Amino acid sequence: MKKIMAVIICCTMLTTMLTGCGGSSSKDKVGATQTQTGEATATVGASDTSDISDPAAKAIADRKAEAEKTGKYKKVVLSFFTWTGAPAGLDRINTLLKTYTEEKLGLDVELSIQDVAAYQQNAKLMLSSGEQMDIFTTCTLSYTNSASTGYCLDLEQDNLLQDYGQGIINAIKPEYINACRIGSKLYGVPGLKDYTISTAAIIIANEYLDAIGYDYNAADPDNKGTVKADWKLIDDLFAQMHAEFPDKYVYSTQDNILSQGSSVDPIGGDFFGSLLDTVNSLKVENTFESSIYYDWCNRMYQWNQAGYISPDALTDTTGASARIKSGACMAMMACSKPGYKTQISGECGRPVTVFQVGEDVLKSSAVSSFPWCINQNTEDKVATVQVLNAFYEDPYLSNLLVWGEEGKDYVETSDGHIDFPEGVDANNAEYYTTMLWLMPNYFISHVWNGDPLDVYEQTAAFNDNAAKSKALGFTWDNSDYSSEFTALTNVYDEYAPSLAYGFVDPKEGIPEFVDQLKSAGLEDYIAAKQKALDDWAAENSVK
Amino acid sequence: MANKNNNTVQSSHKKKYARFIPLYIMALPGLLYLFINNFMPMPGLVLAFKKYNASKGIWGSDWIGFKNFKYLFATQDAFVITRNTILYNVAFIIIGTISSIAVAIILSELHHRIKNFYQSVILLPFMISMVIVSYLAFGFLSTDNGFINNSILKPLGIEPVSWYREKNYWPFILVFINTWKGIGYSCIIYLAAIIGFDRSVYESSAIDGATKWQQITKITLPLLKPTIIMLTLLAVGRIFYSDFGLFYQVPQNQGALFPVTNTIDTYVYRGLIQLGDISMTAAAGLYQSVVGFVLVISVNLIVRKIEPENALF
Repeated sequence: MKKIMAVIICCTMLTTMLTGCGGSSSKDKVGATQTQTGEATATVGASDTSDISDPAAKAIADRKAEAEKTGKYKKVVLSFFTWTGAPAGLDRINTLLKTYTEEKLGLDVELSIQDVAAYQQNAKLMLSSGEQMDIFTTCTLSYTNSASTGYCLDLEQDNLLQDYGQGIINAIKPEYINACRIGSKLYGVPGLKDYTISTAAIIIANEYLDAIGYDYNAADPDNKGTVKADWKLIDDLFAQMHAEFPDKYVYSTQDNILSQGSSVDPIGGDFFGSLLDTVNSLKVENTFESSIYYDWCNRMYQWNQAGYISPDALTDTTGASARIKSGACMAMMACSKPGYKTQISGECGRPVTVFQVGEDVLKSSAVSSFPWCINQNTEDKVATVQVLNAFYEDPYLSNLLVWGEEGKDYVETSDGHIDFPEGVDANNAEYYTTMLWLMPNYFISHVWNGDPLDVYEQTAAFNDNAAKSKALGFTWDNSDYSSEFTALTNVYDEYAPSLAYGFVDPKEGIPEFVDQLKSAGLEDYIAAKQKALDDWAAENSVK
Repeated sequence: MANKNNNTVQSSHKKKYARFIPLYIMALPGLLYLFINNFMPMPGLVLAFKKYNASKGIWGSDWIGFKNFKYLFATQDAFVITRNTILYNVAFIIIGTISSIAVAIILSELHHRIKNFYQSVILLPFMISMVIVSYLAFGFLSTDNGFINNSILKPLGIEPVSWYREKNYWPFILVFINTWKGIGYSCIIYLAAIIGFDRSVYESSAIDGATKWQQITKITLPLLKPTIIMLTLLAVGRIFYSDFGLFYQVPQNQGALFPVTNTIDTYVYRGLIQLGDISMTAAAGLYQSVVGFVLVISVNLIVRKIEPENALF
């Protein structure tokens, strides 16, 4: 009797386990009946599309006809990340997006947003396992690596870009599109943004400047957004701030002294061998032996000794601006551009002053650092290219992606800007991504309150007028040197943060660091990069 | 006559196996999962010898021989990570075994209800995720606000220590944390074995005048030998693996500590999170499994030579 009971119980357990699998199929059946009723009420439209000559328009018309017949629209997923993950209002935006793109493109476009750490870890897995991710940003993934591993679609295959991506071609300058070529194939297109950076911008929250009596309004009478400064002034201000607020830390650290604090160009995608004078020279040199690096490490060491930096800076992984927002720190360093004051004030949660110490430069990898790519395995290549194209040329789509829903996430102000609606602010907004710089084309969207109305024109001019790197357009696939790269990365992770945050005296720390890099294979790595750069220069007639 | 005998022998065999059918059915889901998760992906090991290209898929990608293994052997880090992995595991095995047995013996001597409370409290750290443990450790070791610097060293007048930048303390810190976390779980097996021993041996030894310590060393430990050997053998098979949370999260991923906290798993993770190279990761996994397999077989052979009944197979 007991044996029979045991067998029955085991079989019940097994079957209950398997019903979980069966449940999803019944859901599909429900969906099918819904689309059947939808079909009955679909409008009768023209189903003959053979007389449309423009391939792009024809493709759209074909899809819409197909959708009317079957009642289902093909889905295209655009995937990216924000610093905090999927915004609360994402479903609402996706509904609006679906309605608009069904009408305009005959497709159901959906946004998929993750948080930055999850995106970096999951994206490659999703791409190779076949999860739907049709358009994706290569930020935090290496663009050259993604392309060489075969994740990205060749955009000019079968004339895809020419026939279906005219909006992209019109929006981006040819030299910037060509900068994303690897070999001669185009695997991604850059987002339109400020490629030039104004290096070494020191950001200080205004309330602390008020407390020490510094008049920042007088320093920037034309309201340009930045105050030209030198290190003497910054040291002076920091000393006064430290004396006035002994319980706060002055400087909020992040690992950006080279990337945002100097014009050293990480040629080929990393700082293991870089262009120290990117505008005039194509010589790849050891970054960490340069005087630029020594000066920065020394400055950080002085600031650390003076007590401006938290002793826990190394273990603290919160963002630099988040520490200013919480009031733990008073200043930080980043790079600036037109309209930066508004952006960083929003991130820091309080008004700030931007002091410009460095110069403007357009680094070689600036344009190709994180293009938008299309998944090699995407089901309908034409449809996906048309979606990407739409985000570059359609202001409604760009506004929806960048700013959200009009009326709920933003409202137009009387002078042509946009701002938060009544009762909404940066803390409780449902869709406020602050990821402007990642978007395909925010130049065709609204201007947020605080920036001059022509800030997008200013940015375009900012790009064109800056000192440009000679190596603009050079990309390098380092997969032949992956074991050296792994070893070099390990050495960097071991020594560089302590130097960059000023915990180690650079006089002793840097020679030790450089020795370790050399024994990890730095010179071979640099030689390989230099050769690739020389070959590229010869091919493209760059002197 | 012979037929009848054969039939009875056969049917008694059938009856024997029929008794175990419910057990097989119970094991079926687990076996199925083991098959799907561990055996079905095995052909994918070829990735360790290929250069993976997503457009060609696993089977279409090109063969490149042993190039994917280069980064594990040909760099200066190779010695450090292998040494760290092995030495930490040896320390964990030795210290873990001694402390688990000690705790198991002590628990087996308790007969009050309080024993359940102690068992739960000792088991609790095992349930806590390593990420939380890393923040508990941070609460103690933080340079600015940590418990040790502020509440222990400062009152004694000792200079605060920058724990996350000094390598020398970390072998002890990591061994301590690993033991504290694992002791509750690993002592369960020893406890179960000890409780299963025949009490009459202990009683007769008490009559003969044996002290508690003599009982432990002369009765309990020898009786535990098969269990100890089996568990140690299993642990040796995993000697090239490390608890990723322990070596990545607890030291807060600090570069200054790499020489003493970098193991094969963390090295592979750090190097490849930038490169995203699937074939190189597969090579690392294959390397660890092959070495572990060779070690288990060889140690088992050695044990078979010395104590034949205690060998695993």
